[in-house]
Amino acid sequence: MLVDLLQQLFNGLVIGSIYTLVALGLTIIFGILGIAHFAHGSVAMFGGYLTYFLILALGIGVFPAMALAMAGGALLGVVLERVAYYPVRNAPPINSFIIALGLTLIIEKSNLLLFGVDQIIVPTGFNRIFTIGGLALPELRIYILLTAAALVVALTILIQKSWMGMAVRAVAQNRAAAILMGINVHAVSMFVFALSSALGVAAGVLVGALFAIAPGVSGGLVVKGFAVLILGGLGSIPGAIVGGLVLGVSETFASAFVSSAYKDVIAFLLMIGVLLVKPEGIMRRSVAR
Amino acid sequence: MRRLGVLTIAAAIAFSPLATRAAEKTLTIGVSDALSGGGAVYGVPEKRAIDLAIEQINAAGGIAVGKDKYKLAAIVYDDKADPTEATNVARKLIDRDGVKYLLGYCCSASTGAVASIIGREDAIMLVGTAGARAITSAGHKNVFRTRPPGDYTGDAAGRFIASQGVKRLGVVAARDVALFTQYRDALIKAFESEGGKVVAVETFGGQDRDMTAQLTKVRGLEPDAYFISGYVEQVAFAHRQAHELGIKAPRFGFSGGSAAQFLRVASAEAMEGVWDLIAIEFNAEALGENAKNYAKAYEAKWKEYPTPNSAFAYDQVYVLKAALEAAGTVDDLEAVKKALRNLTVPKEVVLRYLPVDGKMFDPKGQAYISNGAFQFRNGNWVFVKELPSDAAAYSKFFQTVRD
Repeated sequence: MLVDLLQQLFNGLVIGSIYTLVALGLTIIFGILGIAHFAHGSVAMFGGYLTYFLILALGIGVFPAMALAMAGGALLGVVLERVAYYPVRNAPPINSFIIALGLTLIIEKSNLLLFGVDQIIVPTGFNRIFTIGGLALPELRIYILLTAAALVVALTILIQKSWMGMAVRAVAQNRAAAILMGINVHAVSMFVFALSSALGVAAGVLVGALFAIAPGVSGGLVVKGFAVLILGGLGSIPGAIVGGLVLGVSETFASAFVSSAYKDVIAFLLMIGVLLVKPEGIMRRSVAR
Repeated sequence: MRRLGVLTIAAAIAFSPLATRAAEKTLTIGVSDALSGGGAVYGVPEKRAIDLAIEQINAAGGIAVGKDKYKLAAIVYDDKADPTEATNVARKLIDRDGVKYLLGYCCSASTGAVASIIGREDAIMLVGTAGARAITSAGHKNVFRTRPPGDYTGDAAGRFIASQGVKRLGVVAARDVALFTQYRDALIKAFESEGGKVVAVETFGGQDRDMTAQLTKVRGLEPDAYFISGYVEQVAFAHRQAHELGIKAPRFGFSGGSAAQFLRVASAEAMEGVWDLIAIEFNAEALGENAKNYAKAYEAKWKEYPTPNSAFAYDQVYVLKAALEAAGTVDDLEAVKKALRNLTVPKEVVLRYLPVDGKMFDPKGQAYISNGAFQFRNGNWVFVKELPSDAAAYSKFFQTVRD
C-alpha cells in the first residue's frame, strides 16, 4: 500500500513538474505585462516539434536539441512580443486578449503546416527502469523531474540575482516607478517573452518525450497552466511551482483514490475552491483593501 | 407529373421489343465516408476498397440483373465522420442525386445519425466499419452492416481470457466510446459467468495519454491479468506505462491497431506478449485466398497495404452485387431488401462471415465474422487462434436489444 502511495506521488510529481513549467511561463508574462498569453501552449508544441526535427536532422541528443529549441523559442517569444503585443501596449486590455486568441490560432495552424498532422514522440533513448523496493522509477521520468527542477532553479537565480532579473521584479512591483528609475520596460518585456517562451518550449519537449505532441494537445496544456496560475496566485513564481505540483499530485491521487473518471474535474474543483476561500492564490499574501 | 411522364417513357422503352436484348446500363451508388479529419484513417481506405471492387466488377462485365448488365458508378462525398455532415450527405445523395444504395460509413457517430433517419427513406444503407450497436439494433429494415457490434467480440474475448486460467482481471479502458464500452461490458459479463472476478474497472478519456495512475491502482490489487482497451494510440501508451511500472502479468486488449502503429509509441519489449482480441478483420495470414488476392489488387491500385477495416467496405459492394442479381431488379427496393435478407455469403467476399440460419445477415441486417486472438511477438502481431464465437446465440440476443 505504501509502495502504491509513493508510486502515485512520484507519478503526480512528474506530471506536476510539467504543469509547473507551463505555468511559470504564463505567470511571468501575466505578472509583468498583465497579458493572458493563451498561445503559450502552441509555443510549447512548436518547441516539441522543433526538438523532434532537430534530433532527426542533426543526429544530436535530446538535451542539446532542447537547448537549441529553447533558444529558437526565445527568439520566437521576442518576435511575438514585438509584432503582436508591443503595438497594443497602451490600448485597452481587451485588445491584447483578442490578439492572444488570434496568436493561438496562428501558431497552432502554423504548426500544422510546418510539421503535419501526425503525432510525434520526442525520442530520448532513456528506456531504463530503476526499481527500489517495488517502486518503479523509469529513467525518462526521473530526467523530466530533474530537468524541470534545474530550470526552476535557473529561473529563480536569474530573477533573484541578475541585474535583468531585478529589473523584471521592479517592473512587476511598480511599472511607473521602474520607468522613473531608468529601467527600459520595452527591453524587460522582450526579455520576459523570451524567457517565458524558452520555458514553454522546455515544457513542450518534456510532454513530447513522456507522451506525444499532436494537434490539439496545446489546448489542454494551457488550461492546466491557467488552473495552476489561479491556484498559486496570478503572477506569482513560487505559486506556479507549488501550484503545478499540487495540481499534478491531486489529479493522480483523485484517479487513484476517488475515480479515474474525475481526474480532470479535480483541476476545476481546486480552482473553484481557491477562488472561494483564497482568491489571491495559495502562495500570495492577501492584500487589505 | 413530369416524373410520371418520364416513367411512362422509360416504361415504354423498357417494354419495347428492343429491350428483350441485354442492354448495358449504369447503376449509380452513393458513398459517404470520412475522407478528411480524424476519421479519415478509416474512411479513406474504405473508399479505396469500394473503388477497387467497382473496378473489378465492371472489368468482369458488371452485374447481371435480369436480362440487363449493369456497370457500377459511384458518387462519393466526404462526411468528415460528422453527424450533421453525414445527414446532409445522405439527403443530397437521396434527394438530389437520386441514389438508392448508400455505402461506406466508417464511423459510429456519423453513421448513427444517418441510420436513425434512413428507416423512413426509400433507400438501402450498407454500413462498413462503424461499430456502435445501435446502428443495426434499432432494427430498420433497410440497414445492413458487415462489421459485427463490439459486444459480440467482447463476449468471445471474456471467455477466452477465462480459458487462459485468469481468475482476477483488472480492467483499464476507454470511458466514452460506445464501441469500447459495449465490448468491455460484454467481456466482463462473459468473464464473470465463467467464474472470474473483475477486481477493478478504471477508465480514461479521449485525450488522455497518461494512464499510470490507473495502472498503479490496479497493480496494487494484484490481478492475474489486465484488460486494456481503447483507440490504438492510447492503448499503446498504456502498454508502455504498464511496462514502465514493472507489470509482468499478461495483458489482453481490444484496439485492432497495426504493429507499426503500436511501435510508434511503445517499444517491442513493452509490447511483447500483449494480446489483441478482435473480430478477424482483414488479415491475409488468418484468412484465405480471397484475402491474399484482395491485398495484392489493393496494393497494386493504391500503392499501400490495405488497412484491416477496409475489407468491410470491399465486401459491401460484392454483397450488393449478389443481392441485385438474386433480386433481378435494381428498382424494386423491397425485392432487393428481401434478397439481402435471404442472401447466402457471396463467394467473392474477403472476410470469413458466420451465417445465421444459413444467411449472411440476421433479421436485423447484421452480419457476423469470426473473432480471433492475436499476440504481439518479436515486433509483430501473430494470429494465434480463432475464438469460439457463437454468432447464432448472439444474434438471438441481438434481436431483443433496442439501443
